[in-house]
This record gives sequence, C-alpha cells and structure tokens, in this order.
Amino acid sequence: MSVLRKSLDWGKLAPLRLRAKTVADGVYAGGHRSRRRGAGIEFGGQRSYVPGDDLRFIDRHALLRHGTLLVRQFETETDRTLCLLVDASLSMSYRGEGAPAAKYAYAALIAAALCKIAVGAGDRVSLDWFGGEHTVELATAGGREAFERVVGALETAQPSADLKSDLPALERAVARVERRAGRGSTVVVLSDLLDLPAGAEVAIGSLGTRGKTLSVARVLDPSEVNFPFSGPLHLRALEGEARVETDAAAARPQYLAALEAQASRWSEWLLSRGGSLVLLNSADDPVKAVRQVLDSVGGLS
Amino acid sequence: MSFLVAAALGVGLFVAIPFAAHLLRRGRARERDFPPTALVPAARSVARERATLEDRLLLAIRALLIACLAVIGATPFVQCSRLSLSRNAGASVAFALVLDDSHSMRAQAADGGVRFERAMRAARELLASAREGDAIAIVLAGKPARLSLAATTDLNAARRALRDLTESDRSTDLEAAVGLARTSIASVPHHDKRVVLLSDLAGSALTESEGQPPLWTPVPELATPLENCAIFGAERRGRRIAAHVACTSPAAAAGRALSLLGDKNGKPVPLLARGGIQELGLDLDPKLERPELELDGGDALKSDDRCPLAAESAALGVMVAADVSNASAETGGPPVLEQALGALESSAALHPIALLPDDVNEYRSNALLLLDDPGGITPEARGALGSFVERGGVAVAFLGPRVEQTPLGATLEPFVHGAVHWESKASFDVNAASLAWLGPEAQSVQDLKLHGRAGLSTSDLLGGRILATFSDGQPFLSKRELGRGALFTVALPSSVEHGNFPLRPAFLALLDYFLNEARARHGAAQSVAGSEWTFPLGANVSIDGPRGLLAVRETARASGSAQKAATPPLAGRYTLRIDDKPEERVVTVDPSEVTTLPRKPPENAARARANAHAGSVDASPELGFVALALLALELGLRVFRRLTRERAVTTVTARG
Repeated sequence: MSVLRKSLDWGKLAPLRLRAKTVADGVYAGGHRSRRRGAGIEFGGQRSYVPGDDLRFIDRHALLRHGTLLVRQFETETDRTLCLLVDASLSMSYRGEGAPAAKYAYAALIAAALCKIAVGAGDRVSLDWFGGEHTVELATAGGREAFERVVGALETAQPSADLKSDLPALERAVARVERRAGRGSTVVVLSDLLDLPAGAEVAIGSLGTRGKTLSVARVLDPSEVNFPFSGPLHLRALEGEARVETDAAAARPQYLAALEAQASRWSEWLLSRGGSLVLLNSADDPVKAVRQVLDSVGGLS
Repeated sequence: MSFLVAAALGVGLFVAIPFAAHLLRRGRARERDFPPTALVPAARSVARERATLEDRLLLAIRALLIACLAVIGATPFVQCSRLSLSRNAGASVAFALVLDDSHSMRAQAADGGVRFERAMRAARELLASAREGDAIAIVLAGKPARLSLAATTDLNAARRALRDLTESDRSTDLEAAVGLARTSIASVPHHDKRVVLLSDLAGSALTESEGQPPLWTPVPELATPLENCAIFGAERRGRRIAAHVACTSPAAAAGRALSLLGDKNGKPVPLLARGGIQELGLDLDPKLERPELELDGGDALKSDDRCPLAAESAALGVMVAADVSNASAETGGPPVLEQALGALESSAALHPIALLPDDVNEYRSNALLLLDDPGGITPEARGALGSFVERGGVAVAFLGPRVEQTPLGATLEPFVHGAVHWESKASFDVNAASLAWLGPEAQSVQDLKLHGRAGLSTSDLLGGRILATFSDGQPFLSKRELGRGALFTVALPSSVEHGNFPLRPAFLALLDYFLNEARARHGAAQSVAGSEWTFPLGANVSIDGPRGLLAVRETARASGSAQKAATPPLAGRYTLRIDDKPEERVVTVDPSEVTTLPRKPPENAARARANAHAGSVDASPELGFVALALLALELGLRVFRRLTRERAVTTVTARG
C-alpha cells in the first residue's frame, strides 16, 4: 500500500473540528425524548399492573371507578448514549472526480457533527471502528472533552485494511459496540457498505436489538452514485482482487441497478432488525446529511 | 535536399508517436480505482471496439497535424510539378512574362495539349505564386511584339490581362519581345528581376539571349519538335491557282496532297516529299464561290491545313512610269526605280508603263504609282489618277527637268499646281533633320551632289503637307491626302544624271516608305497575320473576320498624323466594308512559323532556370491554414465528446 494512499484526502472538509461545529450548529436538534418510561414529570399513559410495580403509581381513580388495577406511566427526559461505529476500511479512502473529499472524511464529519449535537444535548458518546490504522476506540463519555477526543480520534485514523474476507474483525468491532451500548442507546454506523465480508449484514444488523436504535449511514462518492465514466474502463477495487474491463455506457445501467439492489437488500435487513438505512452522497450538504441521520433515529422533535 | 529540408521532413517521423500511443491505449483502458468494482459488469469486447472507433478520428487528426508541421518546416524547399517563383530571402520579385502567341504556339505540345494553353497555364501558376509587392509585366511575342501589361504590382490587373489573352496566327518576334520585357521591368525598384520566356522558340531567332536580366524558360517541353504542313498563301492566276505550302520536314509532307474544296472534278496535287517551301498549281473551278484549299491527312496543327483563295495578283502591284533613256543608269538595264524596288525584295509586282493610263480600270490590282520626271499629265490621265488615289492608291511623282516642258493642256496636277521651274544653278542640300522620321538612313542625304531640283513653293502644293525640306527651306517632299489615298511629290528625279540622291540609302528607305504606305492604304489582298491594316481617319471601316468583328482603332503615323488601323490576329478570310464598299482580304500564316523548328533554350536561359529553383513551392500559408483547421477540429471534437459525456451523466443522475 502506497504512502500516498495512506494520507487521507480531507479535501474541502478540513479542518474537521470547525466544520463539525458548523454543521452541528446548522442542525436544529432540540431535546429528544427518552423511550424509557417510569418516574418522571409528564404523564405517559397507563398500563395494567403487574406484580412488582411501584405501588405509588397505581391509578386509584381508575381503581375506584372501574375496579381495575392500572399503573400510571410518566416519560422522563433522560440522557442517551450515542455509539458511533465508523468504517475505516480502505474503500473509504476513495475520492472520485467532483467529490469534496474522501468518503472517510465525509463520514468523519458526519460523526463529529453527531457527536457535537449529542454532547450539546447532554448525551454521552462512544466511538468504535472496523478497519483502519491508528484508530482509537473511545469509551462512552460525555461533555465537551468527549467531543474533542472523538474529533481527535477521527482525525488520527487512516483508512486501511482489507475487510473483504475478515468477518471476525467486523464482529469484534460490533461486539465492542454492543458492550458499550445499553438499552436506549443510539448506534450510528457510518460505512460505504462496500467490500464488506459475507455476513456483515447479520453482524451490523444485530446492533439494532435489545432496545437500541440503529441507523446505518451509507456514505458513497458521487462517482459511485452516478457512474459518470465514458469509454473503455479498466476498474480495480480497493479491497479484494476485483478487476473489471468494461465499457462505461454499456455497464452503467447494470451497475446502477446492482447498487440499488444492494441498498434495498441492506434496507430490508435493517428494517427487520429495527434499524434504518440512510443513503448519503459525499457531495451533498453535510447539514442535510446529519438531519437525515437524526431523522432516522428520531432525534429531531 | 539540404540538411534543413531533411531535418524538417524528419519531424514527420513523429507521426509514429500518436500511432504508438494509440496502439498502447487501444489494448486496454487506463486502470483506475473504483471501490464498487464488484458491482460493475465486464464488457471487454465492446470496450475495445469503442476504443478503436473513438480514437481513430483523433489519431488521424494528430498524425495529419504533425505531417503538416513537418512540411511547413520543409517549405519552401519542397519540389513539385507546379511552377512557382523562388525568392531570395523572401524578397519581392519583378518578372516579365514573355508569352509567345505566334502561330507555332497553336500546335500540340509534348503532353498532347496546345502549346499556347500550356504556356498560359505556366503563366497562371507563376502568377499564383506572386505575392503582394511583386511587379509583373506581360509581353506578347507574336509579331509585332506588344506590351500587354506594363510592370505593375496590381496582381488582379495581371490576372485580368492574362485572362484576356488569346492565341493567334502571328509571326514570332522573340528578339523584340525579350527586349521589350527587359525594358518594361528595367525601371522598377526591385532588386530581383527575371524575364520568363514561355515560347517554343520557333519562327524567330533569339540572338541576344545573354542580356540582363537573364532569360528563364521554365517550360522546355514547349520546344518539342513536331510534324506540320501549312498552306501559307493561295492566289488566283487566271484559271489556275498558285498555292504555297510549307512543311517542317519530308516526313510531314510525305503522302499528303492539296485539293480545292468543293471541286469534284479536280484532282488533288500531291506534295513533294521534302521540307521547306514548295509552290503548287491547281486548276480553278470558276463556279466555286469563295474557294478554299485544303491539305489532306493530319499533322500537329490542323488550322493551317486550310486556306482561302486570295484575289488575283495578291501581291502589291506597283506601276512604274519612267523613261528608260533618261532614268536608267549609264551601265544600262531597267530604270533606277525598278532596280531599287527589286533591291528592296518587297515581293511587289512591278508593272512598267510608258504612259499614264487614261482609264482608272487600268490601275486595277495596283496600289502604287511611281512617276519619274513627269512632263505633264493630261486631263484624262489626271482624272483616272485622281480616281485611283481616291480609292486608296498612292502616287509618287519624282519631279525632274521635264517639269518645264509641260505641253499645252497638260499640268502637273494633282501633284502640284501651276508651273514649276527647274533650278539647276543653286547650291543646296537636303535637310537631313527634316527626314529624321525616315530612320537612320536619313543621315545619308548629307553632302549630296545635285545638279538641280524642282523649285516648289508652299502655294504650289495644293494644300499638301511638307514632310521634308532642302537646307534652304524649300519643299523636298510633300504629301497630299486625296480620298483614301495619298499623293507624294519629290522635288528630285530618280535619274542619276541629276544627282546622286538615288544612290543613297535614303532613296531606298523612301521607296520602302512609299511601299508601306501603299500597302497600308490599298490593303494587300493577302497579308500575314499580325500585319497592320491602316485606313484614312475619316473612313468608315468595319471588318468581319474568323472571330467576328475586328476592332478598328485610331493610331498615330510616324509622321504624326492620325489614322485608323486594325490588326488581324488569325489567318483566314476577312470581309471589309470601307465607306460601304465591300472588299475581301485573306490573311495567311508566316511560312517561317512552320519551317523554323523549335530550338533548345539558350544556354544562359538554362542556367537561369537552374538558379531559379524552378518548381519550388512555398506552401506554408496553405499548410498553416490546414494545420489550424486540424487543431480546431481536434478541439471541437474534444468539446463535443465532453458535452456528450456530461449529457450522459446528467441523464443518469436524473434517472437516479
């Protein structure tokens, strides 16, 4: 692997810290409601009493009127943990013509902006990786310091590693996230979902279980979205050994269909696991991209 | 080929570079990273085909562009068959085009075309290579040599002048044409001057070819020998026809015969199998109108194989009235006038007469009357003479001592009025300056030994104009116009008994002047193409020839007076109407145009050609435009492809 390929192309998205703050400021996040119900201020409904419930919450008015034991529920504003899982495999270092920066840089910006928003809302943030070099996993933490650490880690990491046939590495990363993310946590995976090993859907989809909210943001380069090439092409994948000689005009429709089919497959799989898929184009406005991610996790009021 | 040319043309080898690049690129496209490669289907054959098709046009354009640059670098050293002017360090050139429009140029050239057309093409090519600032003169070498275009830098005028030139049956006058060409560009300020001779070098010698600027004969193939026979004259002699035929060689004459067109009973007369001139006789069918003679068989020039028959005695008729006893030399023989006319070799037909005719019909077929020492003219003779002169005849009276012996009833009219005295005691001489218009021979009239003269005064001349005088101012030669003709009066007789004037060259020059005047006024029934026909200024003249109406122009005579003139350029029959009186004349070709074979170019002309880099072409401007067009084409093609690609991307994006 060449030295040039190691140095990430941040392009127009540098410096990450300032850009992330700008993006975060552009996003109206507001407070988000916890899905946990229990002791709180605001009435959140009733449910049947089950043994073990706190007797203080029994609705005596309903008992007197209907003779049924009901428990009053209250919603409470509470901190949520944002678990970021960033793909730093080699394919994320790609930057095509017309793109402002490499895919990883765009993904890092989105991650940093989400971190800034979460920290601003008082939530805690963790950071994990699959693939990459000089990556630093960050345990769940909150406050301004957490944002700085996340940004530092994002800036330090270099996309690397061929995960095409390394499912265990992906599973280890997923396991770390599962350990950090409790119930009610939000897990955001930032990846191009390309050149991942077989079974990656299962591994990543498992993050949506056990009360966690999963959002997978697929970051693609504009040239990957549009396939703007013409004439004869000789293409080479960054991960794996795939090499294709083709004609752009002839291959374009089939490629776009295959790309769409792959996205549909991921979307269906994630939906079945309670997660969602967000498609991002690295040429798009990062603010809009962050809103899409927040929308997918129900973060915007 | 110089090192520079080789080096410049060597640049053309770089054509191989785009070819090599194409071959390298055609096999496979440039490899590029693309993460979702696994999703892209392979289409190798299509890719190769597209690479070949798309690159071919650009490849051709680039190769042509490099070739153009190589040739631009090599010019103006590149040789080609097209004629052009080489330049010393790109400087302007002054050149005179001497274009031979004589009869021999109507023959076929070596390549099968007409020589004149080949010469015109060469002239056009040379003119096309001329640039702004070049001076061009055009001289025509058909006799008489003419300046068609004076030296000018107006190339459009030169093109127009060249476009208007046509072939003719004139004789050749190369010597005068070359001299005229050299004179025409002598005064232009250009340093590089050339005389381009486009001629077959036949029909006229070119003796002064060593002059400056040197001659350049860029089309030597014009001088390729050919086989030709021509009828250059046919005149009626009673019931017979005298025809003159000229052939280039015995081979040209062998097996050919002369016949009268339309004469079914007449037998063709075979030519003698020899080159040169031969005279043939045929019987004339009197029923034929406008008879023509024709040579059978074929040769290099078809137009001169036919010739119309001229009227009887087509030669210029000269009547000489001289007393043999008084006007002859002491050694005997015919009168001095007849001997002098014979010395002129004018081919004039002499008709000695003892008395002046009383009937104008006796003057028929004569154009000149030379009257020596007339002793008076009777009224009948005067009337016939007047009619003869009014119809275009020329009469000359050499006055002698008999002017004082005029009998009763006779006068010297219409030459002079009244009595004329013979002055035998005075000491006088002819004023040579007053005869200067005669030419250099006029100087020979100095120190004459004269024993007398006719004492003329201005009042005696009947309004005639004095052309020359004696040293004391008395008229020596006078001229009086009468109708279409003229009357000349010389105050000296032609007899050597009264002075040595007839023995001086000026006498012969004077007789030649009278002959030319008679030929011009009377109009020879048969003349050579290019000879000038002159008419009185007041005459109403129209001429219909082989090419339609012939232009009649006003010219100035040597003596200063104006006259009308026309020059028939082509051989054939011409119908003239002079003051509504019809007249037919036949124009023939000069036999020397046939018998004088084309010569090799003069040596210095060949040297000039070698030094002139004949055929080198500076095609830089044209090639520059081509290169520019190729460059624009490549840029346009690239822009077109980019637009096409962007449109395709937009379409895909819209679908997405």
